[in-house]
Amino acid sequence: MDATTVLAEINGNIATVGYGLAAIGPAIGVGIVVGKTIEGVARQPELAGRLQVLMWIGIAFTEALAFIGIATYFIFV
Amino acid sequence: MTDLNGRPDRPAGAPANTPTSNPVLKRALVWGGILAAVILVVGGLVGFLVAGVPGLVSALIGTAIAVVFMAVTAGSILLANRFADSDLFVGAFFGIVLGGWIVKFVVFIVLVVLLRGVDWLEPVVLFLALVAGVLGSLVVDVVVMLRSRVPYVDAKLPKAPSED
Repeated sequence: MDATTVLAEINGNIATVGYGLAAIGPAIGVGIVVGKTIEGVARQPELAGRLQVLMWIGIAFTEALAFIGIATYFIFV
Repeated sequence: MTDLNGRPDRPAGAPANTPTSNPVLKRALVWGGILAAVILVVGGLVGFLVAGVPGLVSALIGTAIAVVFMAVTAGSILLANRFADSDLFVGAFFGIVLGGWIVKFVVFIVLVVLLRGVDWLEPVVLFLALVAGVLGSLVVDVVVMLRSRVPYVDAKLPKAPSED
């Protein structure tokens, strides 16, 4: 039994790791988008409407990656 | 801040401080629905030609999931803006928007797991329809945003012809 088998054996489908990554990346992205929006609204509350639209576009782009990443479950066997 | 009650461009019963983003988001939802109808027809046709009835069903389900879930963001912002007059508006706003986001993804993952092993679906068609729906609604969102007119300040403006 060689060292790779003993120390780093992985059972099951390695694509599972990809689903985890598909969740982490967009989570960080949405966190930054929303955090920056809170910051902007706190500085200039009267801009809330404009900032909401920008936040919505930012979230839409970020979550698109999450949807596609998680949906690869359908094609990766 | 000036008193904004009684603004003619605001429906009765809406909070006086409703953010100016509402018309943009509503328009995005409407155009997203129109796009969904187009992708449903085209995707369903292509899916049927490629893989028969399972392909048709897969294309319909994939498009519906993508468009509905992408629309949840705009819908949750619109819902949260109903609490604009509340003292807890900022907290409620981000709670509703981010809470909606996480619920959406949990539901999506559950749907994906449930639909994976079903034999009346064609996984590749479903995946491609989902990607088409996601990319299509992104395009709609960007076009609607670029064509929108959001004022810098929350003041009364003459209405643009495109705004209702």
